[in-house]
Amino acid sequence: MNRISLSLPTDLQFLGVPDAVLLEIGGDMECCTRGLEDLGSAVIEACTNAMEHGNALSDQKTIEVIFEIEEESVTVTVLDEGPGFDFEGWRPSEDLMRQRGRGILIMREFCDTVLFGRHPDGRFMIRLTKLMKPAAESAEDPAGGDS
Amino acid sequence: MKIKERRRDGVVILDMSGKLMGGPDAEAFAEILKTLIHEGSHNVVVNLERVNWVNSTGLGILISGYSTLRKSGGELKLLKVSERIENIFVVSKLHTVFHSFQEEEEAVRSFI
Repeated sequence: MNRISLSLPTDLQFLGVPDAVLLEIGGDMECCTRGLEDLGSAVIEACTNAMEHGNALSDQKTIEVIFEIEEESVTVTVLDEGPGFDFEGWRPSEDLMRQRGRGILIMREFCDTVLFGRHPDGRFMIRLTKLMKPAAESAEDPAGGDS
Repeated sequence: MKIKERRRDGVVILDMSGKLMGGPDAEAFAEILKTLIHEGSHNVVVNLERVNWVNSTGLGILISGYSTLRKSGGELKLLKVSERIENIFVVSKLHTVFHSFQEEEEAVRSFI
């Protein structure tokens, strides 16, 4: 397994950095683009939550993003310095026109596994795993590797 | 996010580029719509061709714009939504709310 770790300032301008890392990783994995893009969208949501809700947009705090790359899956862990949130008990609003509150839904829809919890060092943690289909297999599958 | 405004057959086209993700983007977009409505322009096409990605906060910007224009008697429609962004609209069921087009002419004609 290969492991990459990034430390990002709490600044929404950097939300695209983990996504760029994933696309770079994908070039070496020869897996389907759709799976990586979906994981990237989920990671952007996790980082948005970590910066906005976890770190309360404090420029004194950072988030850490850890990529674990295996042959058939990629796991991304996002850690923040906030108090955490009851993600397990969270249910989406029925209001289709609500302006917020879709981040967890997007994470769950786009990943095979989503875990919330606390890292041993005390930081709040979201752990996202996506199984990666080979590009050739994905081309035969209109769902494109979606979970 | 950058926004360029142009007009075609009385319809306003907003060419967006970069990332659609809330924060200052939300204020900039709301301000543009406010000015357009004040001028009497209520029909808007948001061109997402050069938008790399949208997060849930960015979706909120589009929803807010959609509601604002509907209240003024107009509508917000989308143009050239990438497959990646379309996937987000589908899982959040917003594809049932927004009219989306791949051709600019078709989007503009839909208001006439």
